[in-house]
Amino acid sequence: MSEFIKTRLIDNNAALVQMLGLCPLLAVSNTAINALGMGVATISVVVITNFLVSLIRPITKKEIRIPLFVLLIASVVTTLEMVMNAYFHELYLILGIFIPLIVTNCLIMARAEAYASKNTLWLSVKDGFFVGLGFAIVMFVIGMMREVIGQGTLFSQAHLLFGEWGHTIELTLVENYSGFLLAVLPPGAFFALALLVAIKNKRDIKQKQPS
Amino acid sequence: MTSVGKENKSWLPIILAAMTLLTSALLMISHALTAEKIALIKQEKKRASLQRLVPEELIDNDILQSTIDIFEPVQLGHRQTEQLYVGTKNGLLSVLAIPVTARNGYSGDIDLLVGVQVNGQITAVEIIAHKETPGLGDLIERKKSDWLEQFPNTSLNYPEIDRWKVKKDQGHFDQITAATITPRAVVSAIKQALLFHQQFLISNGVI
Repeated sequence: MSEFIKTRLIDNNAALVQMLGLCPLLAVSNTAINALGMGVATISVVVITNFLVSLIRPITKKEIRIPLFVLLIASVVTTLEMVMNAYFHELYLILGIFIPLIVTNCLIMARAEAYASKNTLWLSVKDGFFVGLGFAIVMFVIGMMREVIGQGTLFSQAHLLFGEWGHTIELTLVENYSGFLLAVLPPGAFFALALLVAIKNKRDIKQKQPS
Repeated sequence: MTSVGKENKSWLPIILAAMTLLTSALLMISHALTAEKIALIKQEKKRASLQRLVPEELIDNDILQSTIDIFEPVQLGHRQTEQLYVGTKNGLLSVLAIPVTARNGYSGDIDLLVGVQVNGQITAVEIIAHKETPGLGDLIERKKSDWLEQFPNTSLNYPEIDRWKVKKDQGHFDQITAATITPRAVVSAIKQALLFHQQFLISNGVI
């Protein structure tokens, strides 16, 4: 794995290290499939906005960069929502509710400001993809943890994302599981995230120690 | 360097204004290109819902064409004129599909369509549109849970009218774990639809 990818996926992970975009991360990670849907939507938006922000670099001046980015991100997300609603309606029914939530994800603003506004188109797109992927993976893992502990199932409602085939991967791990509400409710998301951050920090400390 | 910087500064508002115009144009164009299609899809969805709502054996008219415009902001929560669908069999009223909006959901309006037979029994309830929380409130959707399945064959007599609440409020209907507000809103909206149905029958001399 190149240094470029490793930094974005692990060492400087948007969710675990930078703690960016926690609002959608915590809100929509109650099942693995919800988390996956939000993850995919986030990756596409951050790739597109990174591309556009990089594209308007010549006219982006320091003093007005923030309003410019806000304008751009809000319009892209709104347009995406309308286009999906009209032309990819099935997909919209699944991801549609997540799309307005993406605007609240400061990860997108952070990448525009810290990277895309200073780098070339191709690098910015790559950056958007891998930062988004790192975010999506963390979200997916939290989603799996919360779903297994909270509902005793895994990938429930996968058919919403994958069509009929999805039914085959819907697992019920514990029959007649009474549910563990704490994991389903927002506090569960904080606990799961804290656990992942702890594991990540432990790994970092271990790596720093001279062998 | 400083002179260039100063010169640039006067351009800033213009750049910003141009970008605002550009993005507004983008939004207007994409709205214009998609609005019709989105409206069409919504209409199509309503059609499909209606077909699920009203079993074919109950009607022999074209229920999609047989509508009455109603506007009941207080009782049914409408924000605009909505269409009430009238199903008849052998010339007699057999079923009504009543649009009702629950304004007290967790986030935004919940639009429902409630099918009620002439004897006051519900045929089915369809969720037309909602913005409830993914994974919690959205379990009211038929494809996500069978919560809606408890309504067919209920009426104002069964359960009794004061038990048209969720169990948490000493009512008859199941709630959804961790989402109380949504089911509460939906149950009370369905009750309003049933009350409206009763008044409709009385005022039209059916009973």
